[in-house]
Amino acid sequence: MPLPGIRYCDIRRVRAASTHIDIDNGVVESAGTSFSDSSVIRVLGPRGWGVVALDHFDPASAKDRHAVLERGLALARITEREVDLAPAPSGIRPVPPLREDPRTVSLEEKTGLLSAIAAAARVEGVTSTRAQYTERAEEVSFSDSSGHEAGYGVVRSGFSVLAVASRNGVVQMGRESRHTLTGLNLRHQEALGREAGERAVALLSAPVPRGGRMRAVLDPELAGVFAHEAVGHASEGDLVLEGSSVLQGKMGERIGAETLTIVDDPTLPEFGFEPVDAEGVLPARTEIISRGRVAAYLHTRETLAALGNGVPGHARAMEGDAPIVRMSNTFIENGDASYDEILEECGEGILLIGSRGGQVDPGRGVFQFNAEYGYRLEKGSIAGMVRDVSLSGEILATLHDIVLVGNNRAMHQGFCGKGGQSVPVSDGAPHILLDRAVVGGGGAD
Amino acid sequence: MAGLIDRVIRAGERLADEVEVFLVEGRSVTAQLQREKVDRAEESRSWGMGIRVIQKGRIGVSSTGDPAAWERCLQAAVDSARLATPQEWKGLPGPGPAAGEAPCCDPAIEPSPDGARGILSRMLEGVAGHPDAHVTSGSATLSRATLTLANSHGLERTMERTECGCSLEAICGQSTGSEFDQSPFLDIDPRRVGDQAGFLAVHSSGGREIADGQYSVILSPVAFAQLLGYIVVPALSGRNVHAGRSRLASLLSTRCMDPALDLRDDPFARGMGATAWDAEGVPARRLDFVREGTLLAFAYDLKTAYRYGKETTASAVRGGFGGAPSIGIHNLVLDGKRSDITRERGLYVHDVVGAHTANPMSGDFSVECQNPVWMEDGALREPVRKAMIAGNLFDTLAELGGIGKDSRIVGNAILPSVRLKQVQVIGE
Repeated sequence: MPLPGIRYCDIRRVRAASTHIDIDNGVVESAGTSFSDSSVIRVLGPRGWGVVALDHFDPASAKDRHAVLERGLALARITEREVDLAPAPSGIRPVPPLREDPRTVSLEEKTGLLSAIAAAARVEGVTSTRAQYTERAEEVSFSDSSGHEAGYGVVRSGFSVLAVASRNGVVQMGRESRHTLTGLNLRHQEALGREAGERAVALLSAPVPRGGRMRAVLDPELAGVFAHEAVGHASEGDLVLEGSSVLQGKMGERIGAETLTIVDDPTLPEFGFEPVDAEGVLPARTEIISRGRVAAYLHTRETLAALGNGVPGHARAMEGDAPIVRMSNTFIENGDASYDEILEECGEGILLIGSRGGQVDPGRGVFQFNAEYGYRLEKGSIAGMVRDVSLSGEILATLHDIVLVGNNRAMHQGFCGKGGQSVPVSDGAPHILLDRAVVGGGGAD
Repeated sequence: MAGLIDRVIRAGERLADEVEVFLVEGRSVTAQLQREKVDRAEESRSWGMGIRVIQKGRIGVSSTGDPAAWERCLQAAVDSARLATPQEWKGLPGPGPAAGEAPCCDPAIEPSPDGARGILSRMLEGVAGHPDAHVTSGSATLSRATLTLANSHGLERTMERTECGCSLEAICGQSTGSEFDQSPFLDIDPRRVGDQAGFLAVHSSGGREIADGQYSVILSPVAFAQLLGYIVVPALSGRNVHAGRSRLASLLSTRCMDPALDLRDDPFARGMGATAWDAEGVPARRLDFVREGTLLAFAYDLKTAYRYGKETTASAVRGGFGGAPSIGIHNLVLDGKRSDITRERGLYVHDVVGAHTANPMSGDFSVECQNPVWMEDGALREPVRKAMIAGNLFDTLAELGGIGKDSRIVGNAILPSVRLKQVQVIGE
């Protein structure tokens, strides 16, 4: 052991180059690259963790290394809870290859491509557009006191386009975004820009619905957010361990229909992919809910040791922060209902499309999220467009209310915040039908 | 670090018309509870430098976390300027007095594990008065940072900034309670935080259903800060106003909010954003956005002001050392005619879930309530199990039901509770 009293230690260093382009109403507001170099050293003392986070730390210097371990141990001395680490398989998977490495495309060319997407959003009625590109190339290295080492590079990039339309004091927006870790995705995306623009204009004449309890069809993007917010967070081992998850004590219990399987899979080559987790563990596909029953919690080595019932390899960290339990690529598995069957079965209700994000209180078991827009459904057919519709519910009641699961799963990318850390994720699902959904809206119709 | 800043400015002057360097050195210690026990203590030592160059109206930025990499960072800033669209630009500020002292630093705050541990202990003492509440998690943070801003006109400003904060989450059955406190001074009240988190968890358990309908709603400063932050703050930015992204754009000089309401940025208030100069070095000043319901001003930084022929309002802020300064608010203060808003029956909302999903363009929101409870005659009465509130914040602010007599720091805001007249509430 490196110092007496240290049971385990590891270091994770992230060096990154981040490029951004911001085009606001046709003006290149800013475009450029920034650099960072952060290390996080974790020391497991006689009881709990001491963690030291440093900018530009050189792990090759033995003197610095010794000082930082001493500091970590001093921090660990104020801890009380005895933390243990479960054994877990170490290893690393290859990062999916880049189809076109964004770093080889000049900033000028990327700016031109983004410009074209922004220009396409400026359809008649649109008063403002904004397009942003982000690219982050990371070099990650990890080593621990058990002799495990891992290193990899990954490049994530993507863009968003926002169109704002206004008429007679009414202001509405349409937004599209796409992110990837398999290479530059800026080419031939003008259609998405146009879509954002046309949606902003269409929403100007869409009313806010009157809220209440009704049948709701969720599109793959919004149903994916549901899987993430309502189920994913509640399955995180740290929250279960704290006693702030409604899934605590529910292992093996039926909480949804036989057709419902919800998975977190860091091995999928989607935006939330991790070749190795943030404590050197080889990640594995994890079925949180398997055919309607609670099957696993998401774990770090620490939460696995304390709780059992689940799969390690879900430790993730933002640069400069210590790892905690996180989701990666979270989705509802395909069922067998077609889109038309789902609409027909819904009858009278609402079709909710796209997501402006969501939030959950996993202890109380209540979630909220917002669709970008929607349509009223009348006799299974799409009727008028509505805007500003949100959905809230109690996790356990809502899972039982999933009455049909579609067969057209699609994934969408985003960033998830927890404990002050933001990490790239993807969510997905097929269309699903919810019975008795609580739909929010302040409208009068 | 003065030597490094000089080196960057001297080298930068050879490559661009103007150079600005922003340097942050900070240290913070956080201790965390898992249930009632400390399970992790963390110390963070951060160092970061942001460089901005301006060449013929083209603005370029870069940043680095490594002092040895300053040349690469400077070159990246110069490359960045080449791509930017040129704009009207009348220069960075020169040296000159800042605007006096801002209450942003407490010499008594020293980040240490024992200091953080002591705050956790006092929170635990506070929650112990509620034996039915169980602590799920909590944290305490002490931090200190030195911020330095310098530019090629000879401006150099330095500020020490301290922060302390704590939060506690508790649960009683399936009812959760959460509370926090934060301040630039060592005047937080951890015992009250613990007591309040425990109280909320216990008091909210066994809530009853609420029928859908229109109700008078009292938003706590925490709930109100969330909605203001996502909807009203962006609409006050000069950039959004000129870009056609603010519902307030055409309402300058009109009485578009309740006549009892004042809204301002007060950089000299005792809040988390207290500062004597903005992120571009311009002396900070009080900015009245709304007085007695009339919209008087929007916020500008140098870039937006030069572009649209306005004056900067010293509203440039930075999220960290990285990136360009942008328009923001130092301390958002909502004030006005105060009254006791707790007498008449109304639904009190401690916090909301999902405020970031509100529509910042239209002002429409529909969010889930945390700890909704009936309030009457100054007291919290029967809890409500589940309630969603929906409405339009701009419309709601046009006619408030009253501004409370309380006030607290919530992030970069200092806010009272407010009563909203009629809000759509959706129960179960």
